[in-house]
Formats: sequence, structure tokens, C-alpha cells
Amino acid sequence: MKISRLTALGAVVGATALVLAGCSAPQASEIVENTSISAAQNASFVGYNTQTSNGNSTYNSNITYMTTSQFNYYDNSPKLLKNTKFGTYTKVSDSPLTIKYTINKGVKWSDGTAVNASDLLLSWAANISKFNNVKPVTDAKGNVTNQAAVDAGVFFDSVNAGGALDYVTDTPKISDGGRALTLVYSKPYVDWEVNFAVGVPAHETYHLAFPDQKLSPAKEQAAVIKAIQTNDTTVLGPLSKAWSTGYDQPAMPTDKSIFLSDGPYTITSLVKDQFVTLTANKKYTWGPLPHVQKITVRFIQDPLAQVQALQNGEVGIINGQPTADTLSALKAVKSATAISANSASYEHVDLTMNNKGPFDPATYGGDAAKALAVRQAFLKIVPRQEILDKLIKPLNPKAVLVDSQTLLPGYAGYDDMIKANDSAQYDAVDVAGAKALLQQAGVKTPVNVKFMYGKSNTRRANEYQLIAASGKSAGFNVIDAGNDAWPDKLGDGTYDAVLFAWQSTSTAVTATMAQWQTGAGNNLNGYSNKDVDAAADELNGTFDKAKQLTLLETIEKNLYDDAYGVVIFQFPDVVGYSNKIKHVSDAPLSPTVFWNFYDWTTPAQKAK
Amino acid sequence: MVTFLSRRLIASIIVLLVASYIVYVLTCYSGDPLQDLRTSTARNKQTLIENRIHALNLDVPPFLRYFIWFSGLLRGFIGQFDLGKNIQGQAVTSQLGAAMGSTLQLVTTATLLAIIVGVIVGITTALRQYTSYDYSVTFLSFLFFSLPIFWLAVMLKQYLAINFNDFLQDPVIAPGIILIVSLIAGIAWLGILGGGWRKRLITFGIAALTTAIVLEFFSATRWFAHPGLGIVVVFVLGIGVAFLVTTLSAGLANRKALYSSLSVVVLGTALYYPLNYLFLYPTTGWTILILAIIALLVAGAIGWFWGGVDRWVSVRTAAIVVVLMGALILVDRYMQSWNVYANSDEIGGRPIATIGSSTPDLIGSFWVQGLDSFTHLLLPTAALLLASLAGYTRYTRASLLEVMNQDYIRTARAKGLSERAVVMRHAFRNALIPITTIVALDFGALIGGAVITERVFGWVGMGQMFQQALGAGGSPWPDVNPIMGVFLVTGIAAVVFNLLADLIYTSLDPRIRVS
Repeated sequence: MKISRLTALGAVVGATALVLAGCSAPQASEIVENTSISAAQNASFVGYNTQTSNGNSTYNSNITYMTTSQFNYYDNSPKLLKNTKFGTYTKVSDSPLTIKYTINKGVKWSDGTAVNASDLLLSWAANISKFNNVKPVTDAKGNVTNQAAVDAGVFFDSVNAGGALDYVTDTPKISDGGRALTLVYSKPYVDWEVNFAVGVPAHETYHLAFPDQKLSPAKEQAAVIKAIQTNDTTVLGPLSKAWSTGYDQPAMPTDKSIFLSDGPYTITSLVKDQFVTLTANKKYTWGPLPHVQKITVRFIQDPLAQVQALQNGEVGIINGQPTADTLSALKAVKSATAISANSASYEHVDLTMNNKGPFDPATYGGDAAKALAVRQAFLKIVPRQEILDKLIKPLNPKAVLVDSQTLLPGYAGYDDMIKANDSAQYDAVDVAGAKALLQQAGVKTPVNVKFMYGKSNTRRANEYQLIAASGKSAGFNVIDAGNDAWPDKLGDGTYDAVLFAWQSTSTAVTATMAQWQTGAGNNLNGYSNKDVDAAADELNGTFDKAKQLTLLETIEKNLYDDAYGVVIFQFPDVVGYSNKIKHVSDAPLSPTVFWNFYDWTTPAQKAK
Repeated sequence: MVTFLSRRLIASIIVLLVASYIVYVLTCYSGDPLQDLRTSTARNKQTLIENRIHALNLDVPPFLRYFIWFSGLLRGFIGQFDLGKNIQGQAVTSQLGAAMGSTLQLVTTATLLAIIVGVIVGITTALRQYTSYDYSVTFLSFLFFSLPIFWLAVMLKQYLAINFNDFLQDPVIAPGIILIVSLIAGIAWLGILGGGWRKRLITFGIAALTTAIVLEFFSATRWFAHPGLGIVVVFVLGIGVAFLVTTLSAGLANRKALYSSLSVVVLGTALYYPLNYLFLYPTTGWTILILAIIALLVAGAIGWFWGGVDRWVSVRTAAIVVVLMGALILVDRYMQSWNVYANSDEIGGRPIATIGSSTPDLIGSFWVQGLDSFTHLLLPTAALLLASLAGYTRYTRASLLEVMNQDYIRTARAKGLSERAVVMRHAFRNALIPITTIVALDFGALIGGAVITERVFGWVGMGQMFQQALGAGGSPWPDVNPIMGVFLVTGIAAVVFNLLADLIYTSLDPRIRVS
């Protein structure tokens, strides 16, 4: 189950290029005429601006990934690759953190207008909270009382507002003939590389805001720059409205320029809730070149229906989280290949340390050592291998246990991490060890543990059963506190242990810090450790990769020694594709199977 | 009449309002609309939560929030109809507009077909009560009735779409299959027509042989790859239709009516080539509609011209025949486009679709587009049809059997009326009254059943909208505004169909008055 929609710029950081640094031989189009591929996704495309709160969904990002170019993107390791044919970014200085983004000459939107600093500047202005000068206020009846002010005011409805891009407080400077923008961070921020991306075109947004002015694209771009630089709210107001809602287009708009593209494909047809068709962008040369003329993405909710559509040749590529039924149906399709993979959602058990329960020192009169022993004993009985073998392996034979709280298998540094982070102590079920710890701590057995999980989720119910059975042998009475309203109850202290999943959306090293730092937003179990806090603070300003890993190791070692919790497995994912299509593979991070759409090939149909 | 209608309407509106309040409040309390944000790792989580609270008025308790929603409904009177927004911020009204159209199309087609087929099968089983035919139909209808629709849908996809498309690659029917199908057809006809042993045997022989010949012909000419009727088949089928319709509508003894029907068929056949030339020009639904109106007028005139004891009987018979004759010519014309359609790039020789309501980016003539709708409508309609067919068959059978045992039927027979007049005029009409009630109730239920059908067939309608609103991945995520939108449409459809049923009662049964 997905616990969060795509968040932060990690979602939008998507692009289209193979890195061939320094190699810029002229490229000819590699499109093969009369080729088309149809893929399926679970939900509809509803908006072109994926940075707004309405447009921010995986299903929109999958499409815009193919119609936009970015400075960098993830491959399937996942490793962040740069697309230097589109543009470059360099760190000018560490203190203050200064990054210069330059877009290459000749990179154009599909209407012929150059992609330049105006687009970067708009992306900065729209994704921070600085320019938002009014918040709507409602009365008891729900009517907006300050409607006039809201209409006149500036409100960019961005999912990133309030995030780390807010550290860039001064208006960035434009240089290199309007192609470059330099961001200066007022605070160090280590994950700056996935913190900024090109958004929707500035001139089109201006055009949507002021359709009657009929300015040339260049003048529209200039007007956007001027309005941001001078904080001209009379322009920024309508501009923010156009940016926030103008791109919400679930069906093909009459004004096709709303779907301007600077990537390998352009949207040529969109039927609400049914399909979107992308056709190769003839002008595109700044990145990896796709081979297929037309990609159609159909929106099909039902997983079994996707499998049968694949079998009937209506779609060529499907992907999603499998059930045992859909997986066996997919494997039975002779004309298609199925590959199992890991997704970026990972299941874990956390223990509550501030609810006067068995894991809270307060229960034992503040005896931290006693509470720690009980926590360690509990984690020792979580049958991770059994859960993996019984519930996950049938869906993904390649699945492995996740032994790290901050990295997933395959992420840079994972192998070193699991050797250094002391996670080995919870590797196998150790009933004797757990009993010894409980005895040593001198607590009365059985120890009651209220265990919360998503009750209607069969897999989680099974996990609970396995954990409860294992706990019983060591003297834990694991009480079923399964609840379908679990997300609502997270952090409310009504449970002692909880089972749920986080979804990783980027490889940002600071992404998980909010779970451990004292009092941070996702710290749901009252964990507090000065060493962890200090290391996390230091991590924010540490740019050296090796040093980052050392800090992460310090944090994790503390987490495992403090018996914070354990991670169990990654959600299984499956990709099925027709044997007529070559070079399809899965990737853990968004846009998953679409990550290498430019490699896909398929035989041409007969010419008409 | 007006008093009756307005009284019924006002009562229905009150019921709808109370129900909508209950549904609204229950939906709001069924889960947490902020769930996905609470577990988010985003740095600006708080802002995102506040934005959604504002957009959906989550700070107002549901008991009162209903009235915000309701005021949007009332604003419809001043042209600002507003059903609120869904969780992604799209207006429900725009979502609902498209969704409503496709669901009603699906459900209406299925209901109409189910009524026609169900009533015909019901009548025949009632007239042949306790025969092997009756038992077989009873068995099959209970079978389809008890199959869950999602399973039925998966089977239909497997056999009617995937395997049929495979079959189309080389459309030769194996001799064994021809044998089995012929035997089944023979037994079915034997059961329907009944009679003594001698008659049954002859029926069986003729039916089985005809079926075998037709199938062998299809197989040998690879008809399924290049389907078509041609003028001769249209004519022969037309004659058959003329006799059948006349038998049921007027009785073969009414020669004037028979001549009217046959004249219509001859005229239709004569116009076969001219019409096909006309269809070479760009055709639209309007062309067909205008042609249909002209055809009805001409057929009426033919019936009037032949006259007879009762002119209107001839007119009615001719009109029914012309509709069916027109349908034959249209089907023939569609079949002529089949090859172009099935072998186009977008279809690639696999015409029967399992998903969606149209093929992406298919560009073609009126006929090709029509075929595309047909291949997409086929499976979901069949699934809905099979599920509701059972009900209609059983109700028609029971209701007709009951009527057939009434005294006035005995009287009718006693005074020497033909069996046709007894069944069609005296029994059937009365048997329709309880069926009308069932249809009205069933329509609402069918919209509900379409939720699953739509999902399984990737059909974009209210079912999909409803499901999305209930939450992705089975998590409780009550997106109340779209749910209320779907509720409104379903509720209004139920009310309207009940009103229609009341009106139909009055036309069926002269004893019932609506004022």
C-alpha cells in the first residue's frame, strides 16, 4: 500500500538523457516510422504541472517525464545521472551554498521558444513560500471571507512550498545571456541536487494569466522575470493562479500550447480517464533519443484487466504491485515476459517509547536500560526471514531483507552500511536471547505489547500473526491492535509497536531524518538521542559523500543499538511486457518502468 | 395526471434529500481524507494538510459541511451548479458529466437487450413449461444469476475476446465443434417448437442440418475474417422476418398485413444498392435517423395502402418489419467495413477489445467508429446482460404462467380465438405489468452492478469515479463529493424510472388511473 503520494522535488526530477559528458556529436533522430507502444498505468493523467498540489501524482509524473527534460534523473540502480546535453549545474561555492544552473543553447519548447532562465526563475518563485502573500480565511459556513484579497493576492499552490528551496531567499541572478540562473542557499543543504528542477514554461504560464495581451513569447518571458524581480503582485497574482490551476487538464484542452514540451515526446491526444498519446517531438535532440514514434498510455485500474489486455495485445507494458493471482495470470501469458522487482516502499516495525507502555523507560520508573532490554528482546523475536519467505518471496523471488533504516538495497553505500550499523543483532529470530534479556531486565512475563497494523490489509494481518506466534515463545503477549484508521492514529501513543511502510521518493540522504530527530515531523514514537540529533544536523551541511555515509552509519548504529525498530522488506513490484517490445526494465523510484522509455523498441507496422 | 406526478416528485425529492444527508455524513465518518498526508515524508507536510483542509472545508464538521455541499446544489437554480471538488481539486460536475454518459449508455443498452431477450425466452419457456427446453433455460439462468460478475467478465474476456481473436487469425471451425453446436441447436429448436415425436424429430433434423451447413459454410469461406451478408441473404432473412412479425403481430390469416410486410421487404431489397451508394458519402448518426424516419413513414403508407379489416394493424406490422429490415441493411453495411477495421494498424487483427470504450487514436469513417464502439461495448454489455437476463426470464415465465391460468384466458380460448391472439393480446399484455415493476427497480441496481463491470473492463464511468472516490488500494479515503455526485445520479435515475413505471402501468392496464 502506498503511504504517500510522490512528494518533494524528487518527484519532478525526471529527465531524458543518457550521460555522454563531453561528447556532443550531432545527433540524428532515431525514431523508427510507424512504431507505437501502448503501456498501462493504474490511474489517469489529470494535470501537466506536477509541482502543484493537484498535479502532484505519480501518474502525472510518468507522462511529464516523457515530455520534459531535466538536469538530472534516476536510473534503475537508483543512481542520479546528469543530462549535460540539456544543461549543466555546478556548485560555485560551499559557503554560502551557491549553485549555477545553465541551460544549453538550442534547447527549445515545442513552440520554438528557447528554454531559458525565465523558466528556471519561475520554478524557483513558484516552489517557495516567500511570494505567497495571502492565505484564504474561511468563516464557520466555509465561505472564504477574504476572497477579494485571495484573488488579488499571490498564491502558488506548490507541494514544495515550505521545503528546502525556501532557503534560497534572495532572488537568483540571471547570467550567460539569459540562459543561466544562480541559486544562493542561506543555509547549507546537502540534498540540493534533487531540490530544483525546470517546471512549466514561463511564457505559457504568462499567456494563461494574461491571454488578452498577446505578447511575443520572448516578451512574455521578460515580463515574468521582471515581475519576480520586482515582486510585482499585480502580475504575480494572476500568474500564480495560472501556474496553480491553468495546467489542470484531464482532457485535451482546446489551447494545445498548454502541453508545451521540451522533452522527447509531446502530448498529441488525451481522452479523459482513458488514454494519453505521446508523439515523438521532432525538434528534440538534447538527451537520449527515443526509438518509438508513438507511446500511448492507457489508464486501467484493475490489475487482472491489465493482464488480460496485455494478453489480448491491447497494451504492451504493464506494471504494479502484484497479488498471487495477477502474478500467476501474468506468468501464464505466453506472448509476454514478467519481471519481478523491488519497489521503493518498505515495511518496518517501530516501537513506541513515550506512551508508558512496555518499551517506555517511564514504565520502569525511568530505568532506560530496562526498557532498552525489553525493546531489544522484542526486535529479536520479529521473524523477518519467515515473513519474507512466506509473504514476499512468492511474489518476488529476488526479494531480500532490508537491513538499513536509511538506505535500500542497491543504494550507494548499502553494503558497507549493513556491516557497520549493528543490524546483525536482529538478523535471525533469537528466542533464547530474548528470554535472557527479559529475565536480565527482571520484567514480569508475559509482557503485553499492543501491536497496530492495517487490519483489512491481508498481508499485514499475516505479518501480525507470524510476529505474535514468535513473540509468544519468548514471553511476549502481542495484542492485536489492528485498525484501519492506523494512519490517523500514528504517533498518538495508543499502541506499543506498529507495522507500516514508508515510501522513498528520492535518494536524498536527509530524507529520513525527520523520523529520528527529537520532535521532528515523522518522529512518531518519541525517540530522542543527542548523538543522532547532532549527526543529523551535521549531515545537513556535509557535502562529502564518504562523510555523509559515515554520519548515516553513526545514526543507524545508534538506532539499532537503541532498538528503535527494524525494517523488513521492500514491496514487490512486477512488470509485464509483450515479447514484441525490447529493453523494458523496472526501477524502484518514480517513474518506475517508464524510466528508460527511450530504450524501448518494437517492430514497425506496415506502412499505410 | 399533473397532480399525481407532482405529488410523486415531491415525495421522491424529500426521500432523496434525507438519504443524501445520511450518505454524506456516513461517508465523511468512514475514513480520514488526510491519511496520505499524515504519513508523508514531505518537509512541508503541515502546509499541504492545511491546503487540503481549506479546499475541502474539512474544518467544518460533516453535519454542517453537508449544507455547504447542498448550497452548491441549490445554486443550480441561479446557474452556478456546483457539486464541490474531489480530493485532487477537480470539479465534480465536470467529472460527472462524462462519467454519466458512458455509464448510462452501457446500462441502457444492457437493460434494453436484457428485457427483449429475457421476455422472449420467458414467454417461450412458459408456453413450453416442463419441457427439456424449459429445464435447460432454468438451469442456465440460475447459473448466470449466481455467477459473480467479475468472474463472468474475466471468463468472457478469455473466451469471447482473447480466444475468439486467436480464432480469427485462422477462422476455420473444427468438424467436432460443428457437430456439437449443430446437435445443441437441434435440441434447442426441438424444445422450443415442441409437438409430437414425429414433429420433434423433423424439427431436430432440420435445425441441426441447417446449423451444420451454415457453420461449414462460414468455416470454408473463412466468413469470420470477411463477414458480410449481401443482397440475397438480406432478402431471404427479410422474408423470414416478415413472416415472423406478421405471425406475432397480426396472424398469418391477416393477408393484408402479410402483404404489407412482404412489400416492405421487397422495397428494402430494391433499395439495397442505392442505399449502399448513399453510404459512400460521409454518413453520420443524423443521416441514419433521417433515413429511419423516412422509412417509417413509407412503411406506414404501405400498410395504409394495403389496408385490411383494421388498417392500423397493417401499418403497425409494416413499421416493425421496416425497422428490422433497416437493421439488416445497416448490419450488412457495418460488415463491409469490418475488414478495414480489423486489419488497421491500431487493431492489428484482434478486434474484440477487453478494455476501455474506444481504441486510442483510431481515426475512421462513421462505420469504422461504429464497429469500434461495438467491439468495446460487446463484452461489458454481455456481462451485464447475462447477469440480469436470468431475472427477467424467470419473472416473465412466472407471470405469464399465472396469467395463462386465469379464467379470462379460458374464456378467450372458449370463444375460439387463435392461440396467437390469446397469448399475445390477452396474456402477454397482462403479464407485462409485474415485469415493469422489476425493470424499474432493476435499473438502479444495474447502475450499482456496473461499478464492478466498469472496473473490470476499464470502462470510464460513474463506477470508476465512485471507486476512485472510495480510495485507491483499499485504504479508507472517503472523497465525499464525487460519492455524492454518483449518489445523486443513481438516486435520480431510480426516481425517474419508478415514475416511468407508473406511467407504463396506466397504458398497460386500463383499470389503473394516475389522477
